[in-house]
Amino acid sequence: MRLNKRKIIDRLMLGIISALAIASAIPIFAIAVNVYSEGARYISLNFLIDLPPPPVGGGGGGIGPALVGTLVLVALALAIGGSIGFFTGLYLSEFSHTRLAQYTQMFLQVMVEFPTIIVGLFAYMILVAPLKRFNALAGAIALSIVIIPYIALNVREAYKSIPYTLKEAAFSLGVSAPIAYLRILLSAARRGVLTALLIGLAKAAGETAPLLLTILGTTFTYFGGLDQPINAIPLLIYNFALSPYEKWHQVAWGAAAVLLTIILVIFIVSRLIIKEVKV
Amino acid sequence: MSWAIEVQNLNVWYGDKHIIKNVSFRVPKNVIFAIMGPSGCGKSTLLRAMNRLLDLNPHARVEGQVKINGINVYGDNVDVTWVRRQFGMVFQIPNPFPHLSIYENVALGPKLNGLVKDKSQLDELVKQALQKAYLWDEVKNDLRKPASMLSGGQQQRLCIARALALKPRIILMDEPTANLDPVASSKIEELLLELKEDYTIIIVTHNPQQAARVSDYVAFLYMGELIEIGETSTVFTRPSNILTEKYVLGRMG
Repeated sequence: MRLNKRKIIDRLMLGIISALAIASAIPIFAIAVNVYSEGARYISLNFLIDLPPPPVGGGGGGIGPALVGTLVLVALALAIGGSIGFFTGLYLSEFSHTRLAQYTQMFLQVMVEFPTIIVGLFAYMILVAPLKRFNALAGAIALSIVIIPYIALNVREAYKSIPYTLKEAAFSLGVSAPIAYLRILLSAARRGVLTALLIGLAKAAGETAPLLLTILGTTFTYFGGLDQPINAIPLLIYNFALSPYEKWHQVAWGAAAVLLTIILVIFIVSRLIIKEVKV
Repeated sequence: MSWAIEVQNLNVWYGDKHIIKNVSFRVPKNVIFAIMGPSGCGKSTLLRAMNRLLDLNPHARVEGQVKINGINVYGDNVDVTWVRRQFGMVFQIPNPFPHLSIYENVALGPKLNGLVKDKSQLDELVKQALQKAYLWDEVKNDLRKPASMLSGGQQQRLCIARALALKPRIILMDEPTANLDPVASSKIEELLLELKEDYTIIIVTHNPQQAARVSDYVAFLYMGELIEIGETSTVFTRPSNILTEKYVLGRMG
């Protein structure tokens, strides 16, 4: 009798926990269904290339300037934040016994949790206020600062995962440390490093807050130079969704579907890289 | 007599721990010199102190001298990459670069160190190294396949070929057969006897029988101290120290 009661409680608890686990996964599906059912129908080649429509009248329009802006910003952020993050991660892995590395790692872990709007505010102070103009470079720097800790900490993991005996093998060939780390061991850690860069890429493509105070956003200009305002997909979604025009709401939905697709593709690619059979 | 390597008053610490205690010995050219001793006696550390691979360990501190051709590898103006190129090293666990092909594993060292002028020279060097390591016939049709497809014994011979391709003077081997089956082990041992024609070989082993089978000279290391050193036949038949006697008779770890 008592055993029965225990069994019932056990079943009940398992049921509740399972239901909660399923519930926690519902938002991602709900969001995807919501975004694609509202936005997918607007996506076409022209939608990716064209200028946004005028608020009233005219055709469907597109998100060309925002897509170009996102590509420019992501490329710059990856070039700046990616290289700084990579070498920081390498340093953290290979000089982990030094105090500098220990402190740096601690600061990076704090930076991961940093509100990104504050990073945007910082970029505003150093690059927007002095130039007296919102500009693409400030956005790229803000995004770089946001992604550096993600890339550095993941590159650190990638290099840490190289077996010590492979490291000894590399150095026993009588090569200098840069060659050992960049020409021999990098390819042993390539999956982890690539994953780190993809995480940075997804982060840079999706962040909105660092851009609010830096790039301003343009509606009808593709690219006017790094010292000029530029647009980005997340910022376009924010601006158009807040607008009173039905047509811009539609463009915002379409842009959301494009952004979600970009993020999902990056996520799937990075999963495939990790899953690839280890040799 | 000119020596392949001279170790003088070598001390190694890991942090506060004294691992190698004032060890001195000399190794003639073209011999197999075995360093034997129970696990944890400092054999591998001693080996890594010779080619300064120990530098990779930030907690290791070395005092004393290791001379090759009269040059102290710990001297002020000595380039550590030069030091390491004088040695070929083979490790306890076969550790070819798993992401590289069989060919690339051997070619990488000479390529990165600029030992060859062109592709045909490199091909020739790779072939020679694989032949010397008795691996060529088994892999000559699979040179582009990943090294990870080889068996453990083949991987270890590939690592020997990788070491030989650097054209070293001395080959350091850290228990090269510890992770191999008996057949693969005896192949490696046969190979060592061939290789000593051209190289000086220093092999670390925790197996006194292996030292007896392959070496010309042997050193017995115990808790970081060099207990006894001499010609292998003498050390095994008339050891001068009671600890050595216990060890070679198998009465000690």
